[in-house]
Amino acid sequence: MNAQPTPPHGANRLLEWFCAPHLLEEVQGDLHERFIRNVTLLGATRARQQYGREVLSFLRPFALKRQPREYPSFSLLSPAMLQNYIKIALRNLARNKAYSAINIIGLSIGLAAAMLIMLYTKDEVSYDRFHKNNPAIYRITSQALTPAGNTSRMEPYTGYLPGPKFHAGVPEIKAFVRYQEDRKDMKQGNEVRSQTVYSADASFFSVFTFPLLGGNPKTALQNPRSVVISEKMAETHFGTTDAVGKTLFFKNDDNFQPYVVTAVAKNCPQNSSIKFDVLMPMIVSQDEMANSENWFSVFMNTFIVLSPGANLNAVQSKMNQVYVADASESIVEMAKKYGITEKTQYALQSLTDMHLSKELPASNGLVDESNPTFSYILSGIALFILLIACINFVNLTVARSLKRAKEIGVRKVVGGARSHLIIQFLGESFLLCFVAFVFALALVGLALPTFNQLANKALSLAYLFDTRLVLAYMALFIATSLLAGFYPALVLSGYSPVATLYSRFNLSGKSYLQKSLVVLQFSLASFLIIASLTIYSQFNFLTSKDLGYEDKNVVIIDKSNLKRSEAKLFKEELLKNPNIVDVAPKNGGRWGTVAKVNGETQLNFEYETINDNYLPLFKIPILTGRNFSTDFPSDSSQSVLVNETFVNVAGWKKPIGQVVDFWFRNEKYTVIGVVKDYHYESLNQTIKPQLFTMNPRNSYGRAFIKLKPNTETASLHYIENVFKKLFPLHPYSYQFLDQENIKRYESEAKWKQMMLFGAILTIFISCIGLFGLATLSAERRTKEIGIRKVLGASVSGIVQLLSTDFLRLVSLSFVFAFPAAWYAMGEWLKNYPYRIDISVWMFALTACIAISIAFLTVGWQSLRAAMTNPVTSLKSE
Amino acid sequence: MKRTYLGEFEEVVLLTVAVLGEGAYGVAITDELDRQTGRAVSISAVHAALHRLQEKGMLSSYLGDATAERGGRRKRLFTVTVLGSRTLREIRAVRDQLWDSIAPQTLPAVSI
Repeated sequence: MNAQPTPPHGANRLLEWFCAPHLLEEVQGDLHERFIRNVTLLGATRARQQYGREVLSFLRPFALKRQPREYPSFSLLSPAMLQNYIKIALRNLARNKAYSAINIIGLSIGLAAAMLIMLYTKDEVSYDRFHKNNPAIYRITSQALTPAGNTSRMEPYTGYLPGPKFHAGVPEIKAFVRYQEDRKDMKQGNEVRSQTVYSADASFFSVFTFPLLGGNPKTALQNPRSVVISEKMAETHFGTTDAVGKTLFFKNDDNFQPYVVTAVAKNCPQNSSIKFDVLMPMIVSQDEMANSENWFSVFMNTFIVLSPGANLNAVQSKMNQVYVADASESIVEMAKKYGITEKTQYALQSLTDMHLSKELPASNGLVDESNPTFSYILSGIALFILLIACINFVNLTVARSLKRAKEIGVRKVVGGARSHLIIQFLGESFLLCFVAFVFALALVGLALPTFNQLANKALSLAYLFDTRLVLAYMALFIATSLLAGFYPALVLSGYSPVATLYSRFNLSGKSYLQKSLVVLQFSLASFLIIASLTIYSQFNFLTSKDLGYEDKNVVIIDKSNLKRSEAKLFKEELLKNPNIVDVAPKNGGRWGTVAKVNGETQLNFEYETINDNYLPLFKIPILTGRNFSTDFPSDSSQSVLVNETFVNVAGWKKPIGQVVDFWFRNEKYTVIGVVKDYHYESLNQTIKPQLFTMNPRNSYGRAFIKLKPNTETASLHYIENVFKKLFPLHPYSYQFLDQENIKRYESEAKWKQMMLFGAILTIFISCIGLFGLATLSAERRTKEIGIRKVLGASVSGIVQLLSTDFLRLVSLSFVFAFPAAWYAMGEWLKNYPYRIDISVWMFALTACIAISIAFLTVGWQSLRAAMTNPVTSLKSE
Repeated sequence: MKRTYLGEFEEVVLLTVAVLGEGAYGVAITDELDRQTGRAVSISAVHAALHRLQEKGMLSSYLGDATAERGGRRKRLFTVTVLGSRTLREIRAVRDQLWDSIAPQTLPAVSI
């Protein structure tokens, strides 16, 4: 017999869905009956169509209307049930103090970490967004293109010309402002202080939004002798913020000149890349503006405002047209003079993209340059911590559910539906999360100062009260509650009431999820331990590696334009004090230049201007040849020293006597000695070719003073007196070289602390979770332990029995953590030219730490279980 | 007139239930209506009317046997209640009274 044709499935489903249950049977039966008849009368196809039409015709009120049930079901949210849920939840929390504490502590730490990171991220992305002209504010940037058309260098800075020239040549550019950092000596009473000042064009306050407390934003920077100061500066200098019209003295051309305060600006917001205390008008001479070589001199930031609706690409190409037209001559000239083959192409960078940009960072007068990687790593750690806390919750709730199995059974028997139980358990997780959330807020408040210090921020709690952030926290709260509560709710609500009430219920056998979650927790924790160990050793390596010179007891004194005679006098005066061992001058800052070797090869190198006792002071050895010497008066005009790298790069076999040709100055020097390579920069950078000269045309900018050990206080007093006597109009400040060297690794130090915190927190939360699980497992096996003891098991045997399971899981986690950590740390170390090797001992140590901490947590519980008198555990049934 | 109002369709359905006696259920009623009146009625309209009549208390119903051609589903069998039969009779009485009151030769003769 042929298969009977059936009514269309979809139509049937539709009918079943909309038709009231009490009518469904007869209606569906009638339709079916007619369908069967229609199949014989009309054929299957038309019968199906007819069926569909008839189903649709039943879309009438009578068929849709549901009959009221005989026994009304409980509303999910009836007040009585809600009250019951809350009561039971609170009783459970109060009764199982240990578990509640573990969950709440874990979750609040996790939530606090996540909240801090959100705060941090919010601050990071909010940088420079407060300007009213956004998103029309851009920074002029450029890139150097090789003749092949590849980008060889990204240049975030500009010189004097691009701003005004582009403003004049591109109609879409409404305004420009150049912004440059500088230092000026400022007189305060009789004190001379070196003050960071910024100069900007008069349009500064119309481009950027920095509210003024007093003064006119339009005219504040018009007069060349005017100055705008910050609220803070006004407070410290004048004791009042009402400082408009008062006078400050700054050094200009060797004498102090009065500057009139034309405006007092509110302190710059925390999330601003532009932070100034003193702002002056930018003065650029006509000569500078006319000199088209200035297109190639790049040292500050220039911002522009585009008119509304301007096309960015069109503006950029117009800018490049202006540049090519204006600089055409000097492009040719520079190519001839310095052999520059690269082409410059100008572009615009949105102000709001600046803060987190890696290629075009906000520096050179702009502050708080930030690396987005740091945000990612922080978010990763916070996520780890939160995840581990959620895992604790899931594991403990499921493991503990045995105790609540009876409650679930009874609820089901008296008519609780599964959905009610899910709501109940989810509600409990929400309650717990809420408590944790409150604690987390308190924790954030407590941890914020430390966090600020680590993250180099000035965040405050008031920052929290921001609609978006509050919403984000709400989302975080809900997500955590669901993440932690959903799985247990699903599992617990699925228990069969019969099994639970007959006490035939056990959880053994299928705790794979629990086990894998524990493995995950410890993998994350071990990963972070290895990460912090690696960062620690790398940091130690960086800070303790032999730099190739002695930086102990060396004081640096900056004095701009230190003349040869001054340096000599300064040294003579200082050496009168027996505590001062030696004095050596050097150029200020870092100089680099280019010269020809082997005839025509151009070589870039670090250009150091020193004198004959610079190298001996630092105990930097000379490998071949000799040091500069006063015995050879021609040294200063004819001789240079080079370092080993220079020799290697130049490819010299016999360095002594080679010629270095400064062709553009028409000067030639002979190499008289090779200096052993030393780390003149931080260890994050490779040693580059270095050339030492005594060229009298180069001025010194700082003096290194070697002291006898433990004479710092007296020596510094003496140095200060000498300095003030000799250079009364110059600001005096000193630094210790070894401390400066340490400061170069501040970012590593920060990473180190962050990682350490992260590792400690994750391992802590993982362990309290493990502790909870161990306690539960010991409780569950009380009788078993009792019987084992009665039959003669030893305490150590029982401890071993109870701990092995957990320790095995912890060991398993290494399988996942070690390769991941090995890879990640390898990648991180690649950032350092001088680095440690990842060694086996880190992994071994991590394994030791993780296993011993886990053993301590589990072992203590196991020991307690093993020590109980079997009588107590066996007598009660 | 103090009685429950019955629509024309309802009245016809009620009468059909009475005609069918023991075997009055959705499909049978629809077919019978089709046969007797010659008008094509949709099954859902019949169901709606039956439902309404039951709500008005003129029909009572019970679930009958399942048959194979209904896919194993039971049919709902309807019978006319006392109220239903009284209403039908009243309607008929009113009609008869009205017919009787018409003067002879008032209506034009109709040839069949």
